[in-house]
Amino acid sequence: MGNAFDREEGKILSRAAILAIAVGIGLVMPHVLSPFYLMILSEALIMSIFALSFNLLFGYMGQLSFGQAAFYGLGGYAVAMLITKAHFNFWLSLLAGVLVAAIAGLVVGYFCVRLRGIYFAILTLAFGQLLFVIIYKWHDFTGGDDGIQGVFPPGILTSPKVYYYLIFLAFLGSSYLLWRIVNSPFGYVLKAMRDNPERTEFLGINISRYQLFAFVISAALSGLAGALWAPFYRSVAPFYLMWVKSGEPVMATILGGANTFLGPVVGTFVMTFVHAYVLGFTYFWPVIMGCFILLVIFFLPGGILGFALEKFTTWRRENSGHGRGRSGSSGDKKPD
Amino acid sequence: MRSGVLIKGKVVVFLVAALVAGISGVGLAQEPIRLGAIWGFAGPCHMLSESAVKGIKMAVEEINSAGGILGRKLELIIRDTEMKVDVGSREVKDLILREKVHFLIGPCSSGVALALQVVHSEYKILRISTMANTEAQTVDKFTPYVVQIVPNTYMEAVAATRYMHKRYPKAKRFATIAPDYEFGRREEAAFSEEIKRLVPDAKIVYEAWPKPGEKDFTSFITAIMAKKPDAVHSSLFGGDLVAFTKQAAPYGFFEKIPFMALYDLLVLTALGDDAPEGVMGFARGDFFMDPNPKMMQFTEKYRMTHGTYPDCWAVQAYDGVYLLKEAIEKAKTTSTEDVIKAMEGMSFDSLRGRFTIRALDHMGTVPVYQGVIAKDPKYPFKIWKDISRTPGEEVIRPEESVREIWKKTGVVR
Amino acid sequence: MSPDVFFNQFMSGLARGALLFLVASGLSLTFGVLRVLNFAHGSLYMLGAFLCYSLWAKILLPSLGFYIATLISAIIMGAVGLIIETSILRALYKRGWPEQLLATYALILIITDLVKWQWGGQFLSVSRPRPFTGAVFVFGLPFPAYNLFVIALGLAIAIFLWWLVYRTRLGDIIRAAAHDREMVAALGIPIPWLFTWIFVLGAFIAGLSGAVAAPFGAVALGMDIEIIVECFAVVVIGGMGSLPGTLLGSFIVGQVYSFGIMYKPELALAFIFMVMAVVLIIRPWGIFGRPER
Repeated sequence: MGNAFDREEGKILSRAAILAIAVGIGLVMPHVLSPFYLMILSEALIMSIFALSFNLLFGYMGQLSFGQAAFYGLGGYAVAMLITKAHFNFWLSLLAGVLVAAIAGLVVGYFCVRLRGIYFAILTLAFGQLLFVIIYKWHDFTGGDDGIQGVFPPGILTSPKVYYYLIFLAFLGSSYLLWRIVNSPFGYVLKAMRDNPERTEFLGINISRYQLFAFVISAALSGLAGALWAPFYRSVAPFYLMWVKSGEPVMATILGGANTFLGPVVGTFVMTFVHAYVLGFTYFWPVIMGCFILLVIFFLPGGILGFALEKFTTWRRENSGHGRGRSGSSGDKKPD
Repeated sequence: MRSGVLIKGKVVVFLVAALVAGISGVGLAQEPIRLGAIWGFAGPCHMLSESAVKGIKMAVEEINSAGGILGRKLELIIRDTEMKVDVGSREVKDLILREKVHFLIGPCSSGVALALQVVHSEYKILRISTMANTEAQTVDKFTPYVVQIVPNTYMEAVAATRYMHKRYPKAKRFATIAPDYEFGRREEAAFSEEIKRLVPDAKIVYEAWPKPGEKDFTSFITAIMAKKPDAVHSSLFGGDLVAFTKQAAPYGFFEKIPFMALYDLLVLTALGDDAPEGVMGFARGDFFMDPNPKMMQFTEKYRMTHGTYPDCWAVQAYDGVYLLKEAIEKAKTTSTEDVIKAMEGMSFDSLRGRFTIRALDHMGTVPVYQGVIAKDPKYPFKIWKDISRTPGEEVIRPEESVREIWKKTGVVR
Repeated sequence: MSPDVFFNQFMSGLARGALLFLVASGLSLTFGVLRVLNFAHGSLYMLGAFLCYSLWAKILLPSLGFYIATLISAIIMGAVGLIIETSILRALYKRGWPEQLLATYALILIITDLVKWQWGGQFLSVSRPRPFTGAVFVFGLPFPAYNLFVIALGLAIAIFLWWLVYRTRLGDIIRAAAHDREMVAALGIPIPWLFTWIFVLGAFIAGLSGAVAAPFGAVALGMDIEIIVECFAVVVIGGMGSLPGTLLGSFIVGQVYSFGIMYKPELALAFIFMVMAVVLIIRPWGIFGRPER
């Protein structure tokens, strides 16, 4: 009825308003935050891109990849090597970083998408480690354990404030791209494959091909995150590719909620800021992170954002009076 | 009524207290000089970093109880790099941006040092390098914001090679085992260069590159022994060297093959009776290597404070803090550029004798030491005999050579 | 390459493989029955090593003390396994495997910091116990006696587990539960109880292998991360949940590494992951594994 329309429009309007406010806040940040917190915010944004790319595979496709760090690291190394050794143009280097990661994603993905469940996860881990070992041991080419130093962005981008805008723009662009993907027909097929692979296959869909495409996109965006990170810290190191690094977007996503689009972003922000805060007075960050994760797994099954959204919709339904007869979204563990 | 008076009274007391606190605060608080100590408390670096911090803390306490530097207290902030380049970069940014340190001292790992200096140079903060010793800090990747008072990989390896060659002049076939990162790579490259200069037909028959923090050296040990080298040079250190020595001993490694590595006091203490006698060592100034009066005095005090003898890591870190103090006092300011200028060409009376900071590349003409492991009834651990102290001037890379390398790496000075 | 050199590298590889088998067997057992890939298995191994060190340092008998310390560490780790399974894992069996994986990943973080807090970051070392202090001479070349002990222990555990799984009633239950846990539950066997004890056994073996590894190498942080990925390689190659597979996988990984160091040291580690990837691509369930989920 008329009320339903209001609610729909209201939903869209409020979403747009929230978006505008968020973007506004983001644009203003460099003039409000201290250099230290601006650095933390920049980190959080880059790692959010990383986490979002992971969740394309996990939340929307139902596959847990434990090797995303390899693409992240390759993006970073490509940029680092092109800038320091070949004195390449910065923007082309960023693009190259994304491409290198995408190509690696194509090769690795080709083998991985034939597997499901835990085998998929372990194969991504194996490939990730393989790439890590190659970079780590190829001392003459990659600098080995020492990594590559002196990776500078050009001109005004050396200013943390200006670089922040680059990061923020990349974040907005990646989020928008992913949002369009998951809400496109392609995205619906991914979700269908996640929910019921056999039925999807019966419809004549080549699961492997779709999964491979998603894998490449995910790898490319992970590569973008790495490509942005290297000039930010002026260096890259082999540990960027280790499986332990691959665990970071996984943790962030579960923390924030794999069943919502922005869950990974929320999780990343919480992780990054708490990390910076805790490091101010103790080294024992891992135990805090570990306990956090266990608490979230047990008490907040949808992650922070998932849990919050559920509570919010339940509250709204109970208080609006229009909610009768509406099928609830609580109980659904997957993003729609 | 009464409550009104009470409240007013409380407010007055509060205001007076605040005023007093404010005034006394203004009087006392001259901003302290903040020193960021950035070390790696992981892997083979762990035990060395802990020693360095002991030396730094002793120096800081002494300086503060004597009135500080230019009347200001020296404040120490410690951070852990976990011996990782990415963590180190992050921590140094934290030190500079959040803690707002004026100077840096550290790190342990040469790889981390190179990453750090890109960052702190950009923020124009001076770092004193007292442990990480890759030559790249002052030569290949020179930046004016680094002053090095630990013998660099070139100096250390050249002196050690000459010592080894003197004892084993007939050796022609060599093997190396070193941790696979900047320090190991540089040190073995310098060894290789020098031994080929001394012995024209020298050959490196096997290079072992375990990762830093390797725990199982078995396969490397058997691989080296299979090649039957005449001598082995190693830049394994700390925990790695302890593990390697323990694992190699049952193979009869040290009886069969002349071996030389960084057998400093920490390693000798950790090995205890298992320290292989007759094996050569090189290090950077543990107390027994340079028993001059200043060192002996320091040793006494260190023993009283920490219950152990000082190793070269504590010694060099202690020297580093005092060098900084002297430079700040000479420059009469903590402004980085002035302190750097004060340090250039400065001569310093360290625990290891007198050395100079070369103006060209900020490298100190610091001594290097070699010896042979032997028992000594005075101590519960083994030390060295046949100790050789090489003054820095004899092995430091000549200025023309530095400039040549700068032409290649693009350093302009 | 001369036969004595070949033999020496082979024996080194055998020792490394034996240690790997000790650690991986617990992982394989847990996965086979519980279907949980315990990321924290390496952490249990590491904790066992540190416990062994502390106990050994307290018990002032250098040789006998080591054996006692090893046994006690293993028992303590079994108890830790009990705590972990009952308080954390049990509640997650009805959830998906990603949550279980992540919970074990969280455990890695917690246990690592626990070890760091209690023992600091230094390298600790345990002396090799008598009679395994020196070297045995095989073909005129010295081979550390302790490595032989590790190999012997690995074989002993292999035989014990084989007996347990294939020759006892408990073993029948284990194998049945690995196949079809609902059926086993329908037959009146308390599955939660079974799962708990399997996990405890796995943790016990992990602690034992950590203690045994202590005199072998060095006891330090990072042991957990290093060993777990090699364990994954072992169980992947051999077949997850298969004991003969784990034995074969450990052997293969040990030899690949040992000879890799000899010939192409830069690629020794890479070889292991290459083999792992190849197996996953061609035969995901491993050499001796079964093609079910």
